[in-house]
Amino acid sequence: MKPKLTTSAVLIVTLLATCSSMLAHHGNVAYDEQHPITIAGNVTEFVWSNPHCQIYLDVKNDKGDVVAWSVESQSPGILHRNGWTRDSIKPGDHITVTLVPAKSGAPVGFAGEKTGKVVFDDGHVLRMDLR
Amino acid sequence: MRGRRISLTLRGAVLLALTSAVSTIAIAQEKAAKDAAAPAPKRDISGVWLYQGSGGQEGTAPDKDMPPMTPWAQARFDTERPGYGSRAVPNGNDPILQCDPAGFPRIMFFPTPFEFVQSPEKIIQFFEREHAWRPIWTDGRSLPKDPDPTWSGYAIGHWEGDYTLVVESAGFNDKTWLGATGYPHSEDMRVTERYQRVDRNTILYNIRVDDPKAYTKPIIGPERMMKLRPGVEIGELPCVWSEENSFTKRIREPAVGKPNR
Repeated sequence: MKPKLTTSAVLIVTLLATCSSMLAHHGNVAYDEQHPITIAGNVTEFVWSNPHCQIYLDVKNDKGDVVAWSVESQSPGILHRNGWTRDSIKPGDHITVTLVPAKSGAPVGFAGEKTGKVVFDDGHVLRMDLR
Repeated sequence: MRGRRISLTLRGAVLLALTSAVSTIAIAQEKAAKDAAAPAPKRDISGVWLYQGSGGQEGTAPDKDMPPMTPWAQARFDTERPGYGSRAVPNGNDPILQCDPAGFPRIMFFPTPFEFVQSPEKIIQFFEREHAWRPIWTDGRSLPKDPDPTWSGYAIGHWEGDYTLVVESAGFNDKTWLGATGYPHSEDMRVTERYQRVDRNTILYNIRVDDPKAYTKPIIGPERMMKLRPGVEIGELPCVWSEENSFTKRIREPAVGKPNR
């Protein structure tokens, strides 16, 4: 089945009050770690590399424009221990990613151990726990 | 009739295979449970270890527990622009951003595992982060009196009782930060660590940094817990210029609003 490109960005803002102070303390200053969001779109590239693996995907925003998002995750070592391989995500895959977005408003995000996850249309989930 | 016999034989074979598979799983589960319940081996800390919780992401000690700095250290501290903690800024000057080694003790504070491998005269600590390693000499030698400075220092270890490995190290260069939130140290720094194996799967880790040239009192890190990770193989996480540059251009800079080059 051809993945749907029409899927709009899902902006589910989830305040994780229990984790927020810890996240703010540990996190990268570029990201708004208090306000995770979830986006959905079609993968254009998956980079399996140190220092952090990267997922690039086209996401349709609520105006119908396609926005190219760049998402960093963990190192290959950490993702490997979560069951990932370099082939876990392929161009053309339609995925839903929960991430913390850049404070600058740029379409860049971090999908990490606290809130990050990738969900495929068939329901299977990839996580980024520190393990 | 013949067909029925074959079918019965097949069924028997399948049943046997299933029974065997089930018992193999049961034996493996029993062994894992027995291993977990077994007492820790004496004077043996080998294995892959990982912090429980966020212990690996903290600095050597939290800001609130850092003692007052000397003027020498304060001057260095004032030039630091870390990417984490209360002083965090984007596009900072953390030395590891240009692939400088994290050095010791900072290498201890990443959320990635390390492995201890023991030989009769030394214990080697291999870190996934940077694919770095350091020998901890346990053959009774002393620390060198005037060691040439290195990123990892020179380390000796001894056992207190059967379950606590005490590691002393010195001989560091002063190019590294104590953690992701910054904090300098001098070449006079000495580090004392205690790896207390309280059960087979658990180490309580304590670290103390003495550096009178930089701090007016010792830095005492909070007690952290590490867990044995049976079956885990440490991977490689080296700092590679080409990968760092690519990541900076494609993620770090666009994240703070710089155009994607």
